[in-house]
Amino acid sequence: MSTLKKPDLSDPKLRAKLSKGMGHNYYGEPAWPNDLLYIFPVVILGTIACVVGLAVLDPAFLGDKANPFATPLEILPEWYLYPVFQILRVVPNKLLGIALQTLIPLGLMLIPFIENVNKFSNPFRRPIAMGFFLFGTVLTIYLGIGACLPIDKSLTLGLF
Amino acid sequence: MRRILTFFLGSLLLGLSLIISPSTTWAYPFWAQQNYENPREATGKLVCANCHLAKMTTQVEVPQSVGADSVFTANVKIPYKPGTEEIGADGSKVPLQVGAVVMLPDGFKLAPQDRWSEKIKEETQGVYFTQYSEEKDNIILVGPLPGDQNKEIVFPILSPDPATNKDIHFGKYSINVGGNRGRGQVYPTGEKSNNSLFTAQKSGTISLIEPGEDGSTNITIETKEEGQIIETIPVGPALIVKEGDQIEAGAPLTNDPNVGGFGQLDTEVVLQSPARVLGLIAFFAGVALTQILLVLKKKQVEKVQAANGI
Repeated sequence: MSTLKKPDLSDPKLRAKLSKGMGHNYYGEPAWPNDLLYIFPVVILGTIACVVGLAVLDPAFLGDKANPFATPLEILPEWYLYPVFQILRVVPNKLLGIALQTLIPLGLMLIPFIENVNKFSNPFRRPIAMGFFLFGTVLTIYLGIGACLPIDKSLTLGLF
Repeated sequence: MRRILTFFLGSLLLGLSLIISPSTTWAYPFWAQQNYENPREATGKLVCANCHLAKMTTQVEVPQSVGADSVFTANVKIPYKPGTEEIGADGSKVPLQVGAVVMLPDGFKLAPQDRWSEKIKEETQGVYFTQYSEEKDNIILVGPLPGDQNKEIVFPILSPDPATNKDIHFGKYSINVGGNRGRGQVYPTGEKSNNSLFTAQKSGTISLIEPGEDGSTNITIETKEEGQIIETIPVGPALIVKEGDQIEAGAPLTNDPNVGGFGQLDTEVVLQSPARVLGLIAFFAGVALTQILLVLKKKQVEKVQAANGI
């Protein structure tokens, strides 16, 4: 139904690109004007409609007036800091807690070097990197949930 | 004047309840009314938690949005295991009582009775609502009520009208809800009630356990530094120590008889303007029309492209 351009396989330049896994923008539906002029505005308008709808139906809420002398009942940082907050909270020694925090950027720095010799880009063919990633994800979620629970059940998540 | 009267009536009620029915529970919100001008502290803690020390869950259901000058309900659920009994002030077993407080945004208040629907009338039968104080009609109190019939308390609420009250604006507001079941552990004066855990003040040896007045128990502790000290345990909590025991300071002398608890939570409600919703629907219609026309135009262009042989 939609306009589809066939790849010009007689063009040696395109064949060279295709053999390297590139050049896929030379065929298929043309970006201009089919996509850029007609479908992009549809998506943009849809996004704006979603935002406006939420703004009207569920407007932003002004919280309590800030009071620097009132310590909140539950001290919690922003949600994206929950996992590291949990490390700091459960480690009895503050210095050790800070030291453990530095492991996070160190671990992130290691990622590009781990399994760098592996020639595959398929994640299922990079077992060490995949294992490292899955371990990090599970640990982050576990620590993040733990930060929201009272400290006596934050390590077991109240399950045991 | 009003405050003095409230205090006087409160004392009278308390005195009467002590004389007539000593087994009634102590879920008395008027203690909070006497002691705190605003029942919510700057930290967000409701003052009920100062006396009801145990924590238990409370749930609330409010509509996501309400129109101006309309009646809606906030359903506060105070769950506990059915048939649970606690100890009364005289040490006997009594069923739990419940109470709840709903802190509405400024301008919201308890709906007047003539605007209650039949459903609300049915749901609020036997429930008596009071406002927190003369100035604060946006804070509604309920309780104490027999808990077994009132695990869910329905608050009929009237929303304000920004058209008539210039201080009110459409938008989102927070509602703070607290629900309690059972007696408190501390009186506003700081004394422990008999519904709490008693501990030893000093380390030492228990030399004597003897009954005191009104069913209480006197425990004499022989300490090294200060000689004998006497701990008085009121009627109710069961002793877990016996004569001759060595105890550390702060060690429990009794079990913890408390089975109730207080829970609070914050929820939100949107005071919605009908004009805004109509405008939104019109905007959505315009967006949908534009999207359809864009897709139709694309289909038209595709026909041209097919004719040109792209």
